[in-house]
Amino acid sequence: MSIYSSAVKKPVTTIMIFVGIMVFGLYSYFQLPVDYFPKMEPPMITVFTYYQGASASDVEQNITRKLEDGFGSLTNLKKMSSKSKENISVITLEYEWGANLDEAVNEVRNAVGLSERNLPEEVESPTILKISTSMIPVLMFSVTSEESYAAIEEILDNKVIQPINRIDGVGSVYQSGAPTRAVMVDVDPRKLDAYNLSVEQIGGVLSANNLNLPSGSIEMGKSDFPLRLQGEFENSDIIKNLVISNRDGKTVYLKDVATVRDSLKKIKSDVRANGKKSVRIMVQKQSDANTVEVAANVKNKVEEIKKNLPPDVKIEALYDSSVYTINSINNLKETVIYALVFVVLVVLLFLGRWRATFIVALSIPVSLIAGFIYMHLSGGTINIITLSSISIAIGLVVDDSIVVLENITKKLEHGGFSREAAIYGTNEVSLAVIASTLTIIVVFLPLTMLGGVTGILFKPLGFIVTISITTSVIVALTLTPMLSAKLLNTKLPDKKSLSGKLFWGSQNMFNKLDNFYEKILVWAVGHRWTIIGVSTLVFISSLLLTKFIGTEFMPASDNGRISATVKLVQGIKLDETTNLARKLDSTFMQYPEIEIVSASAGSGDENSMASIFSETGNYIISYTFKMKDRKDRKRDIFEVSENMRKDIEKYAEVETYFVDPGSTRSSSIMGSGGGSNLQVMIFGHDFDATNLMAEQISEEMKKIPGTKDIIVSRDKEKAELSLVLDNEKMTYFGLNTATVATSIRNRITGLTATKYKEGGDEFDVIVRFDENYRKSTEDILNISIPTPQGKLIKLHEIATLKQLYAQPNIERENKERYLTVSAAISGSDLGTVKAEIEKKIATMKIPDGVTIEYGGSAEDMQESFSNLILLLLLSVLLVYIVMAAQFESLSEPFIIMFSIPFALTGVFLGLFIFKSTINVISLIGVVMLIGIVVKNGILLVDFTNLLRDRGYSLKQAVVKAGRSRLRPVLMTSLTVILAMIPMIFNPGEGAEMWKPMAIAIFSGLTFSTLVTLVLIPAIYTMFGIGRMKKDRKELVQGTQN
Amino acid sequence: MQIHSILKLNIMKSVFISHNQALTEEVEDILDSLAIRGYTQWTEVKGRGTNSGEPHLGTHTWPSLNNALITIIPDEKVTRLLEKLTNLNNKVEDQGLRAFVWNVEESI
Repeated sequence: MSIYSSAVKKPVTTIMIFVGIMVFGLYSYFQLPVDYFPKMEPPMITVFTYYQGASASDVEQNITRKLEDGFGSLTNLKKMSSKSKENISVITLEYEWGANLDEAVNEVRNAVGLSERNLPEEVESPTILKISTSMIPVLMFSVTSEESYAAIEEILDNKVIQPINRIDGVGSVYQSGAPTRAVMVDVDPRKLDAYNLSVEQIGGVLSANNLNLPSGSIEMGKSDFPLRLQGEFENSDIIKNLVISNRDGKTVYLKDVATVRDSLKKIKSDVRANGKKSVRIMVQKQSDANTVEVAANVKNKVEEIKKNLPPDVKIEALYDSSVYTINSINNLKETVIYALVFVVLVVLLFLGRWRATFIVALSIPVSLIAGFIYMHLSGGTINIITLSSISIAIGLVVDDSIVVLENITKKLEHGGFSREAAIYGTNEVSLAVIASTLTIIVVFLPLTMLGGVTGILFKPLGFIVTISITTSVIVALTLTPMLSAKLLNTKLPDKKSLSGKLFWGSQNMFNKLDNFYEKILVWAVGHRWTIIGVSTLVFISSLLLTKFIGTEFMPASDNGRISATVKLVQGIKLDETTNLARKLDSTFMQYPEIEIVSASAGSGDENSMASIFSETGNYIISYTFKMKDRKDRKRDIFEVSENMRKDIEKYAEVETYFVDPGSTRSSSIMGSGGGSNLQVMIFGHDFDATNLMAEQISEEMKKIPGTKDIIVSRDKEKAELSLVLDNEKMTYFGLNTATVATSIRNRITGLTATKYKEGGDEFDVIVRFDENYRKSTEDILNISIPTPQGKLIKLHEIATLKQLYAQPNIERENKERYLTVSAAISGSDLGTVKAEIEKKIATMKIPDGVTIEYGGSAEDMQESFSNLILLLLLSVLLVYIVMAAQFESLSEPFIIMFSIPFALTGVFLGLFIFKSTINVISLIGVVMLIGIVVKNGILLVDFTNLLRDRGYSLKQAVVKAGRSRLRPVLMTSLTVILAMIPMIFNPGEGAEMWKPMAIAIFSGLTFSTLVTLVLIPAIYTMFGIGRMKKDRKELVQGTQN
Repeated sequence: MQIHSILKLNIMKSVFISHNQALTEEVEDILDSLAIRGYTQWTEVKGRGTNSGEPHLGTHTWPSLNNALITIIPDEKVTRLLEKLTNLNNKVEDQGLRAFVWNVEESI
């Protein structure tokens, strides 16, 4: 027994199965977490190695190169890039998306182990780190305070950071910009010399006197007492009264040679929010935790915490990555609801019957819910891709039910009985329904096989549409006939009732439309060549339109974030930088769109994780802006950024700057918004040649309209003071480079002698020269260094001081040095700008050994576009295969495929009219269109063939088939077209992202449907006449023989 | 009692009904209403009318199919059966329903 007759004969079973699916689907839906994009972990592994005190070129030579050589044999490695900076080498290994990173990490660890032997001895062991999106903070808070500022670190640590850290899903919480308490021992070098003491000796005395030691146990009588020595400093005042030496019978106290202050460490950074001193708290999530959930939990906790804080401490969210996600998703959900309403209205208008509309509409939730079940089972999330897929599927899933219902209705009108009409009506069209769905599936299923970022993005789309459509076929073959048997009636409704008015009204309108279309068809069949000629002309001229449509990787979207970096001249003091920062703060605070201006200047903790991923320095100010909600501001982030650029330019002390709408530029990981950027990569070993080239290219780039914020990645050479040691003299005194270097470091940066404990917290005790004695080159050269013989010698006896210039950073990719010139693009598009700069570079004289490549969004764009175009061709081929099998003909699928070029024409027109661009999202729309537009052709050609077989003449069959298929064609197309309208016209947050796809499908399908309705019958007639002539010729030849 | 009348009791006719699948249940109902228990049915058979009507060939062009049924019934039920079948056919002319009657010569 076939599936549909079982379904019709066992209505209870059928209904229960679908109720079961609905329940499971709804359960899945409520379990699904929300996110912006599908989960994607960038396939990157970073290896960083500290080499304290080494310059960039030392690091490059001694660490980066050696490690890179060791990585040469890694399997599946796509790209290796490195950055050698002062003190640190960072190597980034990039794999193909979807590669097994755990295996890769092991391999990298082995390679590091092998190369480690070749590294200099003082180098710390390399650290291997998997980069994940969870490293980008989920939330950032800014804490401002007045009286409590001095103690803010402890307050935050105990009352804020620790409670947040305990929340499920929170990875780590850290603060930056808080002043740290420390006991500072500032020594006077002249007094030290007088007592023949050294900084190291003081350090030794301090650590030796700050001890608690168990000293065994004493047995007394029957008891056993543990004995412990309690020597730790009870309070910081004790420190200054420590005896450090005994000279000629005279006791020397620490206070005799140094001033001891229990105060704050001098902070090397300046963090402010809206101009007030602030501390930033950053919250990272665990890699498998859900952003939206973690953010919500943390925010709730912070509200609770606020009550227990001192009244002057204020916590404000500076950045919340979940807000944009939630708003975008809610927006998209709204468009899905609108799409649903539109589709149901179309069905109602065409069928004119309530019950029929209900049956068809029911297939929407059932099919879509299967998509949610898939998301739940595959561990997916509700994100903009999965929701867009649902939007697209809405228009497609009704098609099968419509076809089945139409055939059942026809049977009923011929006087059948409901059960039989339902069973046999379904039986007749089941194959056609399956075949036409197959053409859609062969287009969507390959999406799941795409590689790279596009693959990660569109895999869920492929799966969800395929699963929804497959379910819709099952619904059409079971639920629809079952419900039709139970609910449909063929009685014509009374003309006076509401349903009667609806039915007769729509029938009248469509009869007129049918008549009108029939007239067009009669004309078209007679004027085949005119039609074909005009169509070809339209298609060719639409190709010219592409010149006016821009290309980019991802659509730029307003995600409510702007960040900016302003650099002053290198080597400038932090005070000067903060002065400028204050001036800029007050300018930016006047922007009505900005809620919080957060600035950070200076380097903070130099070796912290943060410094690896972002640039810091005394001459750099980095800004993060919190914008108001999109609906509360008039200008988008791109316009605001443009204004900021103008304001920053007013300050003469600014050397370079960039404003980054969407904050995508600073992170190599793809963000959720912002514009695109173009990178020109200049490869070459010679610094001077490549620097010169970069200079030229950046000059040319500035002239191209639409480029903003042109940055050369290699900083200008940095002035540094360098001590040159005289080896002979040094050895004479029994010293070596290492001992000299540590001695100098201890005196200038300070020696952390011990830790002072108070109330469970530990504070550093730092010994170093008083600030007055480390200010000039003279002071440096007068530093006394203890020799192994216990003598003190002056530094100038063994060294000279020189000023020189060094490269601050050296970047390499695949073992070759390079630098990039990059530009943000605004007011133009990536494709155009890239073409311009390529033209300019072609005229330049490129020195030997220098090569030029393109990176950034341009590289991503190229990779994804070629992937998608391949996919497009594959889809066309697969659709042809399915149709050829369905029609058992090689020429008929060919006729149908004439609707594809006109879909492209429609897409170009749409993108042009709506001022959108060709990007990954709109191209995916084009790929989907291929499956959707051929459906119209299949309906037409299939029915024409049928009529021909039933004995109609060619032209009669074409006209009659056209007339009878007009409604199904219009109906199935309109459901998809109208489902796209809410997506196009939604003005809310995140709309920019999916709009290009909606535009592509909307305009492509509209145009192609209109053309198909006239062109396909014309071409069909032409082919038919051709074949008839051939047959006749053969017949004539046959009779002559 | 005449032999004829004795035989008449035993005169059996075979009725062959060929109809559109869609009418299966209605035809079966008619048989039930006349208390006709025995029949043999062929499902999904092809057929075409001599003069008019759509062919029922189960192809893409002519997708519908027939069911056929033969029942051996006493002579007196034949008229009523044909009457009911004609009624049904008149109600749904387009579907297609035909019935033919033969004599049964012998049976076991």
